[in-house]
Amino acid sequence: MNSSGTSETICDMIKAIGNIGKAAMHTTSSLCGTLAFAARVFLNLFDRRTYNSASRMVFIHQFYFTSVQILPLFLFVAVIFGSLINGMAFHVVKNLGLTDYLGRLLMGFVVTELSPFVTVLLIALRSSSAINAEIAVMKVNRELNTLESFRIDLIHYLFIPRILNGMLSMVLLTSLFALVVLSIGLLVSSLVFGTSVDAYIDTLLQSADVLDIVVLLIKCATFGFFITLIPIRLGLNASQELTSIPVAVLNGMVKVFLAIVTIEVLSSIVRFI
Amino acid sequence: MRFFDSEDALQTSLDAFLAEHKAHLGLVSLEVPLISNLPVWSNIALIRQYHENMPWEKARALVVGLLKRFDMAGIAEKRNPSLKMEELFCVMLIRAAMVRDAVVVLDRPFRILPDLRERRFFTDAFRKVDDLIAEAHIFDYSWEKERYGATDDTED
Repeated sequence: MNSSGTSETICDMIKAIGNIGKAAMHTTSSLCGTLAFAARVFLNLFDRRTYNSASRMVFIHQFYFTSVQILPLFLFVAVIFGSLINGMAFHVVKNLGLTDYLGRLLMGFVVTELSPFVTVLLIALRSSSAINAEIAVMKVNRELNTLESFRIDLIHYLFIPRILNGMLSMVLLTSLFALVVLSIGLLVSSLVFGTSVDAYIDTLLQSADVLDIVVLLIKCATFGFFITLIPIRLGLNASQELTSIPVAVLNGMVKVFLAIVTIEVLSSIVRFI
Repeated sequence: MRFFDSEDALQTSLDAFLAEHKAHLGLVSLEVPLISNLPVWSNIALIRQYHENMPWEKARALVVGLLKRFDMAGIAEKRNPSLKMEELFCVMLIRAAMVRDAVVVLDRPFRILPDLRERRFFTDAFRKVDDLIAEAHIFDYSWEKERYGATDDTED
């Protein structure tokens, strides 16, 4: 009885280890697939054939959907966050007598950390999910076959305009978010400390670090690249059945979230270590 | 016209033909639908915009001119789901004709227009764009021969 119980336990352990191994293999192969796809797309960014009249039209439409249509919501969120963050920051700085560190706080936290994070969340929620569903629907409707039948390269026509738009929109919207938050900071600063515009700008400029700005720009572009690339790749995984669309979107959005966290961690490592 | 007794035979022959003429292929088939998030004019113009880098204004004017040949200029801004079947067929045919030196292949056209009794609609449509087409081929089942007014030995 005892020996059969022991052998069952060993079997369960072997199964559990096997399952962990399978999951690890699956995750690794999925990650490798995504990175290989990313490399293919990245190389095609430098292909002259990508930039034709049809791809330019797709890019303009995508830019409108991602960066222009979102503006009212985006500005509203920026003002709300800006007011909250500035209110809290100025309150803490004043109470602790750390007014000398105000510039570092605004540039080091609000501009380089908070702005890209809120922006990437908003774009991912709105545009990444739309791209994921769009590509999955095109796959199910056989519209991708149409493009291939007319020798239209999917990477050139469908993917690169969306990815370039993701990168550009991330950089521009992050800058806009930072601008709105810093403008509110000026308002609060003049009310709380009676700071002039020149003194405020001077404080910010003195606290700005070129490396931080470079890391910020690279981080925004990387966010933009992956939050559009991953939904495209997962959208392509849809089968010919309608029921595969929600599964593709669900998987895509989970992986987009993981990508955001990974990029955030990597950028922090580059900045602080 | 090529007629086949089974779906497998038709598909095999069609696949071989498509592979052979890939460079100039203009396929009209339910298997290659219109892109649903693009208007009609953009679906057609896309071919020249992509392959020849034609500016969109010029491509649009070209497409509207071709739609006028079919008295269908009014559908230029419509999308796939709001098209009648006749309109859908004509749009697919114009799109196929956009390929340079197009080898147009109609894959079982009566599947797109099941209510049609005979082929006159197709031949009339072909005539309207024959200046753009190098070759035209129809692939269908042998039991549809009557609708084409074809005899048993038709293979042309």
